[in-house]
Amino acid sequence: MKFLVVLACKNLTRYKRRTIITAVTIAIGLMLFILIDSILIGVDRESVRNLKWYETSSVRIMATGYWEDRLMLPLDVSIDDPYTKVQLLREHGYDATPRIMFAADLILYSEDFGEDGNLPVQVTAVDTTLDNTVFRFEDTLLEGRFAESGKNELVIGSWMAEDLQAEVGYWVTLVTRGNGGFFEAMDMQIVGIVNCPNPNVNRSLLMVPIDTVADYLAMENLATEIDIALPESADTDVEAQAITRLMAESGKGTTVMTWKDLAGDYLAMMQAERGGSSTMLFLVFLIAAVGISNTMLMVINERTRELGMMRALGMDDRSIHWLFMLEAGGIGLLGSSIGVALGMLANIYIVQEGLDFGFFMREMDMAYRVQSIFRGAWSLRSILTTFFSGIFLSMLVAWIPTRRAIRMDIPSCLRHQ
Amino acid sequence: MIQVQNVIRNYKAGETVVKALKGVSLDIGDGEFLSIAGPSGSGKTTLLNLIGCIDALDGGEITIEGQPVSGMDKKTKTEFRRNNLGFIFQTYNLIPVLSAYENVSFVLSILNIPEKEIEERTMRILKEVGLEGMEHRRPDRLSGGQQQRIAIARALVKNPKIVLADEPTANLDSKTGEEILKLMKEMNRKYHTTFIFSTHDSMVMDYAARLVLLHDGQIVSDERR
Repeated sequence: MKFLVVLACKNLTRYKRRTIITAVTIAIGLMLFILIDSILIGVDRESVRNLKWYETSSVRIMATGYWEDRLMLPLDVSIDDPYTKVQLLREHGYDATPRIMFAADLILYSEDFGEDGNLPVQVTAVDTTLDNTVFRFEDTLLEGRFAESGKNELVIGSWMAEDLQAEVGYWVTLVTRGNGGFFEAMDMQIVGIVNCPNPNVNRSLLMVPIDTVADYLAMENLATEIDIALPESADTDVEAQAITRLMAESGKGTTVMTWKDLAGDYLAMMQAERGGSSTMLFLVFLIAAVGISNTMLMVINERTRELGMMRALGMDDRSIHWLFMLEAGGIGLLGSSIGVALGMLANIYIVQEGLDFGFFMREMDMAYRVQSIFRGAWSLRSILTTFFSGIFLSMLVAWIPTRRAIRMDIPSCLRHQ
Repeated sequence: MIQVQNVIRNYKAGETVVKALKGVSLDIGDGEFLSIAGPSGSGKTTLLNLIGCIDALDGGEITIEGQPVSGMDKKTKTEFRRNNLGFIFQTYNLIPVLSAYENVSFVLSILNIPEKEIEERTMRILKEVGLEGMEHRRPDRLSGGQQQRIAIARALVKNPKIVLADEPTANLDSKTGEEILKLMKEMNRKYHTTFIFSTHDSMVMDYAARLVLLHDGQIVSDERR
């Protein structure tokens, strides 16, 4: 084996230029793999974080049956006495807040907006004190201030404000149906514009104080959901089970769902996009594999006589297989080392600065909950997998041409020109 | 002792079948210095390949040291060659990235001989073939004659019973070729190794202790000198 390793190493220096070109091909493939994978991991992590921080929270409690009708945003399927439940949750160490989600028609006036208009919207009524203990809107204020408790005030997402050309101080009316089906109109003044990292929220957020709308909508002491924040390290499923038990003790009629259940559509889309990205990464690997396979074919073809000599002198097929696989592995090792080093260097920039896809994300919904900058993430597992895959793949693709050469009879090998 | 009995070997060249050996029979004793001579296409290399267990018989039998070659599978043949046979090729077939020492010693490495013994035996044989002091040179820094000396050392280092040499002097000038032949003869005498070499060069034939002439796949003369 020692001889095989020595010979393989020496053979790698035999055709230096070819070895380097092949190794560089592998290196470029692996570097791209590391960068794309880093961006995918980074965007995925950031999307999950932004989902939990601005959209779904970690765990949500709803009235039983609400989830099935969620698209209708029903007010009559609601949680009774939400503050008692919030208090109970807080006593057990959970940061929780009630919310009311309702559908409305947003009426715009020409005095402020230049022309009259209306559009259907989804409104989020929040507890102005508790909401920031669960969601992270606190640092996202772009202009104005947050709505105050009991006042007819509204906070709007920055992209929506841009689309409507809305500014702080403008008045709008929300026309909706209250709990029981009666029509209600609420005049609200825009007091703040938030720009949060979740593009979905920026695109559609209309946030009002819960105590203001509860009165209008006949939702006093009712909420459509209670949102709970969990620490990053918490096991969401385990905590959700604990919360379910806690809610069961405090009365019936609630359902507990984790962010994974709530963002099922997102996760499914991510999986599909991951599948597409994996295909792309597979193609990157394939290019590297074709490169090394071609090199090994040339190497074996040029050394057929040498191979015949070694077989004539009694070297067994297994050793010859090992010899060429070690050589291919050597090229793979070189390529993987360069690729991983370059990939890690480039990834420093991707992690720290990121790539700005803002122009893209503003115009189209890609399901990612990242507004503009796609930042990478470090994944030791991914880097190690890439490194060893590069070596393993190189060895694997050398197997077939070596096998073909070994099948050739020795006299033919020795006659080979 | 090698017994070649009524050996037949045919090759396919497109649609036609070329009869390379047409029932060749030959007994070769231990320690012989035998030349198989004949014009191109007479079957010299084919006969050497068959004795060297690197080609398959179509008919007849070859028995080496009592072992019939036709009964050996691929693995057994490889093992047999590794333990009993040495090869010298016309174009030397040295590994260009290895030094003279490494080109010789690798034969012992595949026999799993201890490192110390490998070194001892390799240095000894290199000295005997006149390459002392050139152990670390690569083949591209050696002359054709010196390269063939490495090939001879490589063939002999494992103390094989039989050395097969296919036109060992064909790529050398006459003076160097003669030196190589003298060296082979000396090794034959010293180690009592059977040397079987093919040639179509009359000077080489003169060196043989026994000359077997092949023509069109048949032995036309077998002369002991």
